[in-house]
Amino acid sequence: MISVKDLSFSYGSKRVLNNITMELKGGNIYGLLGENGVGKTTLLTLLCGLKKPQTGVIETDGRHPFDRQPSLLAEQFYLPDEVSGLHIKAIDFGKEQGALWPKFDLNKYLTVLLEFEVDSLQRMDSMSTGQLKKTWIAFALACNARYYYMDEPTNGLDIPSKAQFRKAIMKYTCEESAIVISTHQVRDLEEIIDPIIILDKEQVLLNASLETITQKLFFDYGSTIKADALYLENTPSGAIQVYPNTTGEESKVNLEALFNAVHSHKDIVKALFQ
Amino acid sequence: MQSEVFNGKRFFTYFKYDLMQTLRIHVKAAILIGFAGVIYYLLGIGFNAIVGLVRDSHGVWQAPDFRGRIVIFVIASIALELYQIRTYGYITNRRKGSAWLMIPASAFEKWFSMILMTLVVIPVAFIVTYAGTDALLSIVDPTYGKMLLGSAIEVVDQFQTNLALANEEYTTTWSLGFMVVPYLVGFCCNFLYFLCCGVTFKRHKLLYAFLVLFGISIVGSMISTWLGLQSTVELDDFAEAEQFIRHMINVITVYTGIFAILLAGGIFYRIKTLKH
Repeated sequence: MISVKDLSFSYGSKRVLNNITMELKGGNIYGLLGENGVGKTTLLTLLCGLKKPQTGVIETDGRHPFDRQPSLLAEQFYLPDEVSGLHIKAIDFGKEQGALWPKFDLNKYLTVLLEFEVDSLQRMDSMSTGQLKKTWIAFALACNARYYYMDEPTNGLDIPSKAQFRKAIMKYTCEESAIVISTHQVRDLEEIIDPIIILDKEQVLLNASLETITQKLFFDYGSTIKADALYLENTPSGAIQVYPNTTGEESKVNLEALFNAVHSHKDIVKALFQ
Repeated sequence: MQSEVFNGKRFFTYFKYDLMQTLRIHVKAAILIGFAGVIYYLLGIGFNAIVGLVRDSHGVWQAPDFRGRIVIFVIASIALELYQIRTYGYITNRRKGSAWLMIPASAFEKWFSMILMTLVVIPVAFIVTYAGTDALLSIVDPTYGKMLLGSAIEVVDQFQTNLALANEEYTTTWSLGFMVVPYLVGFCCNFLYFLCCGVTFKRHKLLYAFLVLFGISIVGSMISTWLGLQSTVELDDFAEAEQFIRHMINVITVYTGIFAILLAGGIFYRIKTLKH
């Protein structure tokens, strides 16, 4: 379990995260959403130990990530937004780098590469952005880590690859893994992410499971416009409205609408979820 | 339960990985620099042949002279020292450095492997290449002259002979071992200095390395001048002067060694606290 308590972080005088407290449990795929510059990548890099909390504490199974203890590093994988292409074939990359992760499974790596339609004999520095990203994703999944931190994993992937990514995440990660995915491409991942964390300037606006969200908010895809809607968007196929769920009726969450509703009515939403 | 600081199996796995990366890029570069002597030889042969042809219509097969070869060796050695700024410089790059930091090995294991690559693997690749090609040329070309390594031993012998001739009371020996130790300590210090700059500065690494070196030189000059002015040493004869020089070499070697250890410690601290 990852425990974040009173976490603050600034770049110079610019505060990015302020007194953030939350818990991330295994067996979940957390979707980390937020506008540009609110600190999604900063939070991910703090969680994996690339940065040191300025105040507050992060503990992953009782260990501090910034200590970068090998036992913890072996259980986690950080996939940055931009990955580098090495001057070796994908298969050799798997063999060489994989040896460093105790639970790495080369067969799994090659299987995922095959499913991603990436040639394992191709040199990584000659791959396209999407192929390179898929190679790193395959590598990450083959590490059989317990904690995954993925920053915009679907950036650079074409439409079929995004579906392949979703399938691979569901198929090749352990049930007890905690996966934190930061993304702007909510539509790419809305079928797999749950719970949802929405970051705003310096704070967490929402950290709730889809079940809780549907208990508190109703997503109306009908054409009757409600006066108390927190968010309304007219689309060619109708309208999407989000309003407080007063009847307990279930609805399907639309992440974009949720994000916009949360952002336009921060105080109301925060009060609803407290 | 495995130690979080050092574990033999984990270190060996990481070292093997690091060695593969080093062989792939930096050992190749070291070998290339090690061919400097051959390149100089070929240029010298070509130059002498052309000059001979122009002068009297007869090409001359003449290898470059010995002093030139020493200069080239020194230049190649300096190039290899400067190259250390590149070997692990990538760890300050956000993309590559993040991936490196997340490798499941301890900071100590990464540091130790880094030191071994910098002070052993890369220099050995260079020396073997340089000395090997130098030996080969001295065997196949009679105009080439002696090997650099053999000549270095001769120079030490000659130095001792000259000292003995200059002073009948000369008793101490300037063994090759005595002269090699300061050289090796100096070599370690230089390599670690450029490695330290490589992993410390995020950009303009070489420029900052020279600026810091310039600063250190100024401070060093000031301290040595002050010490010189404070000194009450009186050297009455040759033997005392020779002993004093030996003493000074020892002192400088010890201080260089301490500086090298501080640099190695600084590199470890940098790895331990590096953030991306």
